[in-house]
Amino acid sequence: MTHLNPRAAAGIGIMVVSGFALAGCSGGPTVAPGESGAASEGTTTAQITFWDPYPQRETGSEWDTLVKSCAPDGSTIVRSSAPQSDLFNQLTTAVKEDNAPDIVLLDNPMMPEASSAGLLATAEQAGIDTAGIDENLLGPGIVDGVAYGVPMGSNALGLYYNKNILDAAGVNPADIKDWASLNTAIEKVVASGKKGITFSGVAGEEGVFQFEPWFWGAGANLSDLGSAEAISAGQLVSDWIGKGWAPRSAATDNQSASWDVFLTGDYGFAENGSWFAADAAALKDFTVGMIPIPAKDSAVAPVPTGGEFAVAPLQSKDASDHYANASSVIACLTTGDKATATSEALGYLSAKADVRAAQVADNALWTPWVSIVEGAQGRTSELGATYVAVSAALSQAEQGALNAAGDASGVEAAFKDASGN
Amino acid sequence: MARSWWKTALALALTAVMLFPIYWMVNVSFTHRESIRKSQLLPLDFTTDHYRVVFSQQLPYLTTSLLVGVGTVVLTLLVAAPAAYGLAKLPVPGGRVLSFVLIVGQMIPAVVMSLGFYAIYNRIGMLDTIPGLILADSTLAVPFAVMLFTAFMRGIPNELIEAAELDGASYWRTFRAVMLPISRNSAITVALFAFLWSWSDFLFASTLDREGGSLRPITMGIYNYIGAQNQEWGPMMATAVVASIPTALLLVLAQKYVAAGVTAGAVKD
Amino acid sequence: MAITPPTRAPHPLETTSRADDAVVAGPHRRHAARLAAIAFVAPLVVYLVVFYGYPLVQNVAMSLQRYDRATFVSGGAPFVGLDIYREVIGQPKFWRIVGQTATFTLVSITVQYVVGLALAVFFQHNFRLSATLRAMFLVPWLLPVIVSGTTWQWMMNPDNGALNSLVGLFGVDPIWWLNADHALMSVIIANIWLGIPFNLVILYSGLQNIPTTLYEAAAIDGAGPWRQFWSITVPLLRPVSLITLLLGLVYTLKVVDIIWIMTMGTGTSQTLATWSYGMAFGKGASAVIKYSEAAAVGGILLVIALAFGLVYIAVQRKSED
Repeated sequence: MTHLNPRAAAGIGIMVVSGFALAGCSGGPTVAPGESGAASEGTTTAQITFWDPYPQRETGSEWDTLVKSCAPDGSTIVRSSAPQSDLFNQLTTAVKEDNAPDIVLLDNPMMPEASSAGLLATAEQAGIDTAGIDENLLGPGIVDGVAYGVPMGSNALGLYYNKNILDAAGVNPADIKDWASLNTAIEKVVASGKKGITFSGVAGEEGVFQFEPWFWGAGANLSDLGSAEAISAGQLVSDWIGKGWAPRSAATDNQSASWDVFLTGDYGFAENGSWFAADAAALKDFTVGMIPIPAKDSAVAPVPTGGEFAVAPLQSKDASDHYANASSVIACLTTGDKATATSEALGYLSAKADVRAAQVADNALWTPWVSIVEGAQGRTSELGATYVAVSAALSQAEQGALNAAGDASGVEAAFKDASGN
Repeated sequence: MARSWWKTALALALTAVMLFPIYWMVNVSFTHRESIRKSQLLPLDFTTDHYRVVFSQQLPYLTTSLLVGVGTVVLTLLVAAPAAYGLAKLPVPGGRVLSFVLIVGQMIPAVVMSLGFYAIYNRIGMLDTIPGLILADSTLAVPFAVMLFTAFMRGIPNELIEAAELDGASYWRTFRAVMLPISRNSAITVALFAFLWSWSDFLFASTLDREGGSLRPITMGIYNYIGAQNQEWGPMMATAVVASIPTALLLVLAQKYVAAGVTAGAVKD
Repeated sequence: MAITPPTRAPHPLETTSRADDAVVAGPHRRHAARLAAIAFVAPLVVYLVVFYGYPLVQNVAMSLQRYDRATFVSGGAPFVGLDIYREVIGQPKFWRIVGQTATFTLVSITVQYVVGLALAVFFQHNFRLSATLRAMFLVPWLLPVIVSGTTWQWMMNPDNGALNSLVGLFGVDPIWWLNADHALMSVIIANIWLGIPFNLVILYSGLQNIPTTLYEAAAIDGAGPWRQFWSITVPLLRPVSLITLLLGLVYTLKVVDIIWIMTMGTGTSQTLATWSYGMAFGKGASAVIKYSEAAAVGGILLVIALAFGLVYIAVQRKSED
């Protein structure tokens, strides 16, 4: 019978001790980050690093050119991208290893967590101007009364519809004023031989993002996931799956996949975001329209604020210079001449009312979205850093509801369990 | 004759089943975005647009992947082959422990390893470099390579080595002149796995080569098609197809050697 | 008629250490041999210590301190000893996840091995195109997992996926492959698909090592192919099989990608590895980062692998006696 012979123990022991020795060599940053540094005290450096979550916007694309054109004299901007969820973790590791970029575009619900983890410099330190921005859009970036960055614009969720299908089924989108009329409309579409509605119910923040209009539309509150209103929102989407009105892949589709399903032309409705508005308008196979997402008892449900915040990560070495970089580039992108270009390049509506008005005047595509953006609600405004845990619970509840496929007891159990966490 | 054809037919059928997902991938790579979710067996909504996009964007990444792959193979062989010779034929103190450690070492979550690498690389300035990535990717293959080499080298008859020793050859000479040539086939097997594992690595690339620009491998190039709220599956599948063709050819060539078996070219029965 | 393999030199994959064979003559030579051995193995040892020792220690250290994102960045995480482990194991879902991991791993490696072996034996007969087709079996490995994972996800689409069309041909109702209850079965299928090439290649090489003369002798003695398989192939393939299964086990325990892309580890497809991954990076349903818990689960996985490593060594020792 084998026993751990002394040699084996010694061998592993040596590895462990050597590992400790190496680990000992790696300390944290030598200068404590935080209080020191202000943009006004620094000068811009020759190379500026810029991180954003848009890997699809390649070198040479509109956005990329715009960003690089915002380099102050004598500097160049090095831009790199990563998917949203990875970006936050990479930022964490980078700040820990004192290798943080000058500017990061961070998803807005992550702001409280980022600031409480000590990853961000305040807007004041970094010389970021927050004037003129709509309160509801600036909200997610304000933690404990301190502002940490500015939104790059806002996207929002709406209910797209396939006009050809709706006409054929005899549905008038203007009649959709609440959940009941929406369900009636979907039923008519299904009766005419087509399928009902696509949405994204994938596990994680994306699915929660799409679920929140129904959640808030039912009158539910994020601080109580087990309420009757919350359960009714879950029942709504669960019934769609159960009746076959929505694709069962909704439980694993993200927003892009859900849009792909809508593009096949089989579905009457699609809950999706304003970033597809331009593509929708350009579709050849069928005509697409958009109405605001209805609430349970009214025509417009509050949608969560979308979009990223431009922030300056916390730096320890040469902090002032890094903050000067951030200040310069962010000011260039969000104020003055380039503000409109930024919003257009990203496909977002500007966070400033005046710029937004100019955008709409230029491009009528944005008209129906303005009121939705102005009525948008911050996800973290009430809950702050605890939002992340609440979102996780809500995601699990929604997944449970979707899997229950209409079974009321299953839906109720899913939400009650989630609120218990 | 008829017997042989029957086997070929069965093999073709089995291969077809195994490669069906690959077929699906090719199918989607030729389909317009609107029809991808229609799940049609043939690319009825045909387009070559995706390939056009890939050829204009992805080639630098493919080159990098190739470089990293070859580098990983070389490094793995350099570290593993001598070590295996030591473990197989020479009295290494604590050899058994080392073998055990090799098995267990492969258990360390790659995620943990990549964080450790990041810390080290950041300090010595090796982030975003190809040699750095080669070094990291080699950890995917080295333990396995040592195990495989050791196993095959053990099977090499000791008579051959004794003959070399009688001729006065040093250990290094014996290694170079006797062990290596005979181990050619296991070296090719190791090279195959090392190349494939480094080719498909994403974790190390995304952690350690983030800002490498076009000096990033194809697994990251492919992520250009995964945007914040929008993913383009057509170009992604097309990239995968384009990336697979040269390596598939490599595979077919290498199989000849892997197939020849361990003792081919060694001792005649 | 019993067919016994003729006695022969040790099989390639048996791990007898040459140190046990007193072939080297004389103390001088022995000393030189030892030095040479150390020299040959030294690069590997350094390599292992730097690249495996350090992360291993980091992982263990992380599981003994209570980290959150803030303390991860700036240090100062309190030392809590084995509390994290206690909390992780005390969670109601812990044993369910362990069970799912066990099912995932055991079913995967068993089926992969059996199918791999069957294919390897089949490909032994050198029919036309056998070499090319055998190479084609490795093509799944060329694809980034994001691609193969997403393709499987599409094929398993409950509403119009290819897999449901296939089972529909046999009169079976469409299955919701990726829902909470069926997720485990679905990811096992995809994982088996991914694992067959590995088994095929290694087992095939092992089979190539068995001298055909043995089979010829057996045939002359009147043994049919089935008998030959059980009396010659299986025993002689044992060392290779053991190592294939062990490596298969280690690799399968670590699998995250394919599951993640298909289901994000939701429902029954949550294994220890995906759980750890989700907690370490704040992915999946919960974006809450739980570094310490993730490291603890990683530590548990390590212990499991260690246990199987010891089992492997024990089984090996037995076969040497």
